[in-house]
Amino acid sequence: MNLTCIIVEDLQVAANYLVKCCEKSGQVEVKGHFMNVPQALTFLNENSVDLIFLDVEMPGANGFELLDQIAFSPKVILTTSKKEYAYNAFQYNVSDYLMKPFTYQRFLEALQKIQPSRETISAQNGSDHIYIKADGKLIRLNNDSILYIESMGDYVKFVTSDNKKYITHNTIKNLEEKVSKHHFLKVHRSYIVNLHKIDDMRENILFIKGNEIPVSKANKADVFRRLNII
Amino acid sequence: MSSPVSNNPFIFSHEIDSQCITDLYGDDFAYVEEVFGTVLKEYGMLTDDINSAYTSADISALKAAIHKMKPIFGFVGLKTIQQYCQQFENKCQSATSLDLLAHDYKQLTDKLIVSRTLLEEEKKKLELFNGHRP
Repeated sequence: MNLTCIIVEDLQVAANYLVKCCEKSGQVEVKGHFMNVPQALTFLNENSVDLIFLDVEMPGANGFELLDQIAFSPKVILTTSKKEYAYNAFQYNVSDYLMKPFTYQRFLEALQKIQPSRETISAQNGSDHIYIKADGKLIRLNNDSILYIESMGDYVKFVTSDNKKYITHNTIKNLEEKVSKHHFLKVHRSYIVNLHKIDDMRENILFIKGNEIPVSKANKADVFRRLNII
Repeated sequence: MSSPVSNNPFIFSHEIDSQCITDLYGDDFAYVEEVFGTVLKEYGMLTDDINSAYTSADISALKAAIHKMKPIFGFVGLKTIQQYCQQFENKCQSATSLDLLAHDYKQLTDKLIVSRTLLEEEKKKLELFNGHRP
């Protein structure tokens, strides 16, 4: 298994078939099946996945509304019976869409489109920027502009060198895996800092442009390892 | 789901597109039986939604209910009724009143009843074929 996914689909027979395809492929681990957007959102607020198989028309809210509300950007394969969603699919960077019912071979073709993208994600971890969803839009933040990231319960705050603060729905745990390992380090359960922005460190406190960031006992050894101490 | 095979040992009723079934599930007839069972379990709820939307004269809800039900026919090789559902959904899109849909709705509900009976019979045949008790 090298991908994790959830299935958001209100038709049981379609969801079961997708689970079967995922199991057969040996490439995708299904973390859950949700019959509607609120259920899926509750799960995604606490967990991240690589891929969402997403039906579009469901009772209550449609699939694109789910993508609007999650704080990270998983790959998406639409499972639908309408081609009319192509424009939205383009806007949401959907990798493929499967017309129900689809063959296993067609399912595999869709998965193949995901694999190169995963490499891109890995490459992005080494790239110079990230995108966050805040204020109803995607905002590009250069790694060099981020001072630190602070947990605020179900949200996190990005503090940048121009003294701007961006609040987005996410968790430190999730971000720890997403941000560049070269630039960032989790120093406390509530903080990830930009290693290039640390001015000094006293006892268990990091100073970054006048901001005091606590370092937990559990993370202190990591901090020392990553700082270029001579 | 096994790889598709050309020599299908189970004979489906002529209304069912056996090539479609083979393309989807290969020769895994235990799974085919499971699929038919799942579809029949959902069938009642889906047709209730359609009837409820029609009774309340909610064309938008009727369209949504048909749209939701439509793909299940693809999973059991009933392409004709799936196409009919698509046509009915298109008519809902342009219909300005329920009266314009009345004739087609009657035809649709008749087809849904016939299809359900067909699926139930096919499920029984699959149970026998797979060695289960009917």
